[in-house]
Amino acid sequence: MKKKSVRLSYQRRKALYGFGFISLWLFGTIVFFLIPLVKSLWYSFSDVSIGVGSIDAKWVGLDKYSYVLTVDEKYLKLLRETLIETAWKTPLILIFSLFIAVILNQKFRGRALARAVFFLPVIIATGPVYKIISGDMSNTGSAGAGQFSTMFSTDMMGKLLEFLGIYGLSESMSGMISAVADNIFSIVWNAGIQILVFLAALQNIPSSAREAAQIEGATAWEYFWKITFPYVSPFILTNLIFTVIDSFTNPTNKVMERLIVMREDWKFGEASAMAWIYFAVVIAAIGLITLVINKFIYYETE
Amino acid sequence: MPEEQTVKTETKETEKKKKHKKAPAEVVWAVFRFLILFGLGFVIMYPLLYMISCSFRERADMNDPTVVWIPRHFTLSVMRDTIQAMDFGTTLLNTVLMNVGCSMVQVLSCAITGYGFARFRFRGSRLLFGLVILMILVPTQVIALPLYGQFRFFGIGSHTVNLIDTMWTMYLPAMTANGIRAGLMIFLFRQFFRGLPREIEDAAYIDGCGPFMTFVRVMAPNASAAFLTVFLFSLVWYWNDYYVSSTFFTNSKTVALMLQNLDTELKIRLFKDAKADISPREQIVWKEAGCLLSIAPVLAVYALLQKHFTEGIARSGITGM
Repeated sequence: MKKKSVRLSYQRRKALYGFGFISLWLFGTIVFFLIPLVKSLWYSFSDVSIGVGSIDAKWVGLDKYSYVLTVDEKYLKLLRETLIETAWKTPLILIFSLFIAVILNQKFRGRALARAVFFLPVIIATGPVYKIISGDMSNTGSAGAGQFSTMFSTDMMGKLLEFLGIYGLSESMSGMISAVADNIFSIVWNAGIQILVFLAALQNIPSSAREAAQIEGATAWEYFWKITFPYVSPFILTNLIFTVIDSFTNPTNKVMERLIVMREDWKFGEASAMAWIYFAVVIAAIGLITLVINKFIYYETE
Repeated sequence: MPEEQTVKTETKETEKKKKHKKAPAEVVWAVFRFLILFGLGFVIMYPLLYMISCSFRERADMNDPTVVWIPRHFTLSVMRDTIQAMDFGTTLLNTVLMNVGCSMVQVLSCAITGYGFARFRFRGSRLLFGLVILMILVPTQVIALPLYGQFRFFGIGSHTVNLIDTMWTMYLPAMTANGIRAGLMIFLFRQFFRGLPREIEDAAYIDGCGPFMTFVRVMAPNASAAFLTVFLFSLVWYWNDYYVSSTFFTNSKTVALMLQNLDTELKIRLFKDAKADISPREQIVWKEAGCLLSIAPVLAVYALLQKHFTEGIARSGITGM
């Protein structure tokens, strides 16, 4: 009996310690995150004006939402464009980063250098530098990406497919491939963290699994689908969500730019409404993706 | 595709017998791999090389079609102009004080929070961790205006102070693990600490070490890889940030902000005219020089840390295994 009570109090004490560790964050989150978040929701239903001594918000109901959705003709268009772009770029970034991670996980001379180069975008891609260099790329017309993509030019790919006896497919296929080639710059430059995560996942595959596969005589193809892929699959979800969020919260994204323009026009209510619509759409998308993908994921623990 | 498949197959098999003679398939794969890595590496390195090439040429070279990589008129004046226009000394000092300081503080606060979530079960801990996930999901832009209000009238009731334009707007959130991408950093630390064995803590507890000292003395030294990785991320995110700092500062000199405003700044300083007409092609030399200047410090840090970063990433527990 005594022992039990001691254990309970130990648990209570641990719980208290836990609160101690997170208390600083909890305070900050309430002040710098939760209150602003609720206020921003409130603003989206209000007429907002900055007065002396406070920010005034007058409740107007759904006016701002109906303005954004029906009157502002730019917003819906930009929203659709951004969503479509995210929808086709995300899988490409994922496939690309997994492919590169598998390569970077192999042993070869100069691997350290290759890794250093491929993680370089992590350092640069979030800042204004990226904006300038990607702008200059298109400005000078001598884009490195452009030079590179001529190697995989649409025509060549179509010809190759026809040569292999594949007709009909080439139309949509070459369209897709040329889209990839045109955007290879932005794909490569936005895959840094994803490569990092996949690489870490690959390095965590236990050597016993590899040995077992070797003894059973698995081919590399089988090894990839039966060992590598299941081990990496939880991180496909991680990376997927990260990629979606990354493109969604990127200040250079079109909806975000529109939002900033609205705010500079002092249309705070409209800007908040835009942000919340956008947020709701993206959360819904992420929730849906998670539900679908979770069915195909293999978790070693649990 | 089937060819590539067999190539890979045989590569793997031959890799296992490293000592044996190299099979042709392995050589083919090695060449193929080199081509892929070289090509994509080129796409990544291209802007950097271009930056270096542009920063040391005269602007007339931009219109010379024969100049691609090696400038015809080598000059340091572009670099000098840009350093002057960006007020680089002050800017750099400012950035180090604010952004680097914040990123260090934030790594510490996020580590403490992440540890709290990783090791202690308490009522509402799942709900609160859900809040961390929400922090990752909500972009700063959504809460920027109310946050501005929060800092403009900081305090309770009518006792408020104006924190706008002071460093507190950056340091306060960083200290309380709520700065730039703090949610992600808490998440990374939690994953990492969950992966450490409980035995080392229990040993410390039995020896009479309090929980906070256990964290400082036992857990933190074991987490150096995680600290290093998250610090590099944090440094980069703070360094590159211009959105948050431009929201809270009307007139602040950080590297990212100065780069953002380099265009007008240059025209005012160099040509004494904000509307000076220089072709966008010629402007590139200064822009690229500005880029080079602003990433050089981070690149230097990356060059120093990259070995730990790229080789130690598995140990840093990003995957939480």
